Amino acid sequence: MKSPLFFILLFLLQIQFVEAQNKYTLSGYVKNTNNGEEIIGAKVFLKEPFFVGAVTNAYGFYSITLPEGEYTISAQYFGYDTKILKINLKQNLKQDFLLSESINQLEEVEISAKRKDENITNIQMGMAKINMQDIKNIPVLFGEKDILKTIQLLPGVSSTGEGNSGFYVRGGNADQNLILLDEATVYNASHLMGFFSVFNADAIKDVSLYKGSQTSEYGGRLSSLLDIRMKDGNDKKIGIEGGLGLIASRLAVEGPIVKNKGSFIISARRSYADLFLKLSKDSAMRERKLYFYDLNAKANYRINTNNRIFLSGYFGKDVFKFGDKIGIDWGNATGTFRWNHLFSAKVFSNTSLIFSNYDYSINTVLAGTNGEIISRIQDYNFKQDFQYYPNSKNKLSFGLNSIYHKIIPGVIKEESDSSINELNINYKHALNNALYFSHQFNSNKLISFEYGFRFSFFSTLGPGNFYSYNSLGEINDSTYYRKGEIVQNYFNIEPRFSLNFLLNEKSSVKFAYGRNTQNLHLLSNSTSGNPTDLWIPSSNNVKPEISDQVSLGYFRNFKNNTFEFSTEIYYKYLQNQLDYRDGAELRFNEYAEAQILFGIGRAYGLELFLKKKYGKFNGWIGYTLSKSEKKINGINNGEYYNAKQDRTHDLSIVAIYEFTKKWTVSATWVYYTGNAVTFPSGKYEVAGQIVNYYTERNGYRMPTYHRLDIGVTWQRKTTEKFESSWSFSLYNAYGKENAYSITFQEDPTDATKTQAVQTTLFRWVPSITYNFKFK
Amino acid sequence: MKTSILNIVKFKNYFLISSILIFFSCEKVVDINLNEKDPQIVIEGNINDQAGPYFVKLSQTVNYDQTNEFPEISGAFVLINDNYGNLDTLFETVNPGIYATKFLQGENERTYTLKVVTNGKEYLSTSTIHSPVQIDTLTIENQSLPMGNKKVINVEFQDVAGKTNYYRFIKIVNNVVQPTIYLAEDLTQDGEKLKVSLIDKKSEDVNIKSKDTITIVLESIDENVHAYFKSLLKLNSGGMINQSSTPTNPISNINNNALGYFNACSLTTKTIILP
Repeated sequence: MKSPLFFILLFLLQIQFVEAQNKYTLSGYVKNTNNGEEIIGAKVFLKEPFFVGAVTNAYGFYSITLPEGEYTISAQYFGYDTKILKINLKQNLKQDFLLSESINQLEEVEISAKRKDENITNIQMGMAKINMQDIKNIPVLFGEKDILKTIQLLPGVSSTGEGNSGFYVRGGNADQNLILLDEATVYNASHLMGFFSVFNADAIKDVSLYKGSQTSEYGGRLSSLLDIRMKDGNDKKIGIEGGLGLIASRLAVEGPIVKNKGSFIISARRSYADLFLKLSKDSAMRERKLYFYDLNAKANYRINTNNRIFLSGYFGKDVFKFGDKIGIDWGNATGTFRWNHLFSAKVFSNTSLIFSNYDYSINTVLAGTNGEIISRIQDYNFKQDFQYYPNSKNKLSFGLNSIYHKIIPGVIKEESDSSINELNINYKHALNNALYFSHQFNSNKLISFEYGFRFSFFSTLGPGNFYSYNSLGEINDSTYYRKGEIVQNYFNIEPRFSLNFLLNEKSSVKFAYGRNTQNLHLLSNSTSGNPTDLWIPSSNNVKPEISDQVSLGYFRNFKNNTFEFSTEIYYKYLQNQLDYRDGAELRFNEYAEAQILFGIGRAYGLELFLKKKYGKFNGWIGYTLSKSEKKINGINNGEYYNAKQDRTHDLSIVAIYEFTKKWTVSATWVYYTGNAVTFPSGKYEVAGQIVNYYTERNGYRMPTYHRLDIGVTWQRKTTEKFESSWSFSLYNAYGKENAYSITFQEDPTDATKTQAVQTTLFRWVPSITYNFKFK
Repeated sequence: MKTSILNIVKFKNYFLISSILIFFSCEKVVDINLNEKDPQIVIEGNINDQAGPYFVKLSQTVNYDQTNEFPEISGAFVLINDNYGNLDTLFETVNPGIYATKFLQGENERTYTLKVVTNGKEYLSTSTIHSPVQIDTLTIENQSLPMGNKKVINVEFQDVAGKTNYYRFIKIVNNVVQPTIYLAEDLTQDGEKLKVSLIDKKSEDVNIKSKDTITIVLESIDENVHAYFKSLLKLNSGGMINQSSTPTNPISNINNNALGYFNACSLTTKTIILP
């Protein structure tokens, strides 16, 4: 795995950045002064010269190398008071910045001389950070604050359906989003058929979304990267936080392991939606069990100034039981061990060992037979990252990543009278290795840029039978491969490039190009995602999906950075896209790959975003105009057709108003074009039944969707030790009957006719949540 | 029993959603402006190992907003032949659009070809009659199902060893054919004694009760016919789970984009009267 390339690279860089004798390194961490949590993405900058500085990495670390001298340095982050320090740099210096949360963080009064202008100076485009404070205030279905539903309110991101936590980014499929929780892949990010996400907001510190132009450190999905980082825990004192809601309750405990050296946090959430079923008149309904739970746990310890370890884990499950022996449960489990090591003040290293698992099992009893179906995907992941800060203008990131995937598509066990039958669909094994490097250059002039490459080596491995199919999906040939034998190799180079051209202090133009490849594909016939959808690796039949995206953006801040405006246009070309043969049976099918058809896709659009960040009144407007199409051999006569996630218009308005310290009112309004769907163009009779006749794929639209949600937060008296609040929300406040589905069926009152029936899920769903915090 | 388990899985998803949503959802009939399309031919052909005549029905699609009257196709040339050189040109019966054989006899282990020529187009399909499988016993069982406790018929029979077999069941309650399509295959249990529960999937199925006369027809069908009915079942079983998946026409074993199927099969029956 170790390529000599890296050493050559390092050597070249040493030459390039030969250091003058009188340069020293200022390094350290930026932290929250109250709980010791490191702040990700905080800026540590010189007052003069402008633009010299650094941004803290995912562990809150920064490093700047400067000539000997006296400097005024400021550390700043949105929602925190800026800290300004005078330093005299005449040797390498370790300096941590402790920032305190702004008491009046939304007030117009600005403490620092300069407003924060991250979105102008940041090289990254197509990137959004979610403010955890916003998540608290934005009203959502059933009052469960939700990261995934909040990101759906951003331009370029759309919801997969009513009340659903699934999302599409820039016209990509739902499986083209890489969702990482403390670097571990989360394969199914939803609970309860998608109405809740698996992320308990109490346990989350930082959420960043990259819409396809992420740095080369990350790869594996075409559309986006959602990087979620768990809280590390308070290393100063014990704290307890929780909430009681209609659907679920949650509790989090955090505290120091050794004060200022290590901390832990454990948070748990359990739903009790099935209690509602007890209200049902139907006895079968009352016997049903339906709930989910989550457990997040994390601990970290600073061994010394140069070494720190983290251990974090997530475990969640959905359980549905119908009677004693019939049921289905599914869930994710992830575990991450990390070791941060400072080789020097300029070289930061992180080593991660990551495990992730998603599985489901179905139990059933029928005609006296017990049956069980199990399916699972597991990852064993090793990741080594280096960040090297040779001087104040350059940053280099490089590393390697090796993931072993093991997929059990389906094991079916049946107990008949005499024996236990077991049907095993071939397990699938694959190894995905990647090397990456990335160079970020920030001049103190107008131009800054970042470029990088990711080299992805993917191997599908035996043991098992591998089939080849003809164009009709019939088996041509079958070959058996031994354990560990390579069936198919794929090598891809993924170049990435971002450029920021500063027009003036208030505006900039950005450009980005990125290629992403994807070697795991979700076989799913439904939009919202079923727990039983199956992931398959690239193979001799399935080639890696490839996307190339170019985007161009204009960023402008107004009124001393109170308002941020940005617009981006993008064009994405997709290769080796998957769709399915008519009537495809994807589950429990040894020959599922025979059901897949391949083609290309294209997606393009315009995104507008206006955000007011400060003041009693804040919020944003996001608008997207877009198109997403596919062209697959064997579908729609090989012509381009609308992808189901094609949305012409998508508008979100979020407004939060703080009337007083006690009362905050918020509202969101969303409006979007209905999904592209296939409706019947006719009907006929066969086998005594009326059957719909379909012609064009996705040739119709669901009705336009719009909805207003209102939320009120009532902050109770806050003391040194305790604070509490009530959140009230009303989902779909004006009761719009939005279409969840449209079914075409026989008219129950007149057998000679058929009709279209629209199902609406949620109208006026009120909710109430009580939140508390012991400090 | 593999098939049964898979079927219940699909059920469960549906009921899983409906359990949650029943408290919030509402339904209404809406007007959707659907495109009009040229009529497409629908062919329904059957031949089996019982005495003839056998029938082929030709009809057409209509636009969605029309009433359920499907124009028959008269005056077509319809022919069935087997792989032993027997050939029978069907005649149109007094019921327009329905064509009958004159003398052809369906035999086990023979392959039949249906040819329909109408309106200048030719449609072809082949299907094979496999050996019949006898029903050993029919039993009644109370099963606790997602939609409540129901009386369910279990069909027990001996699978033919050494090959994949496909079965279709027809349930006739008091001389009325029930609409649910019941299918089975012997994936994990080749050559074993199979027991298949016939669980209703359509709301129009009548609940069986005491004193009912129930006849079960067990058809031994070929792979392509099974694929047709399986995809038809998938399309027509309805439910919210289908709301977002892309519906497609069933996989027909007839060429030239014709809708429908040609089923050559052997069949056996057994009747019970419920106590």
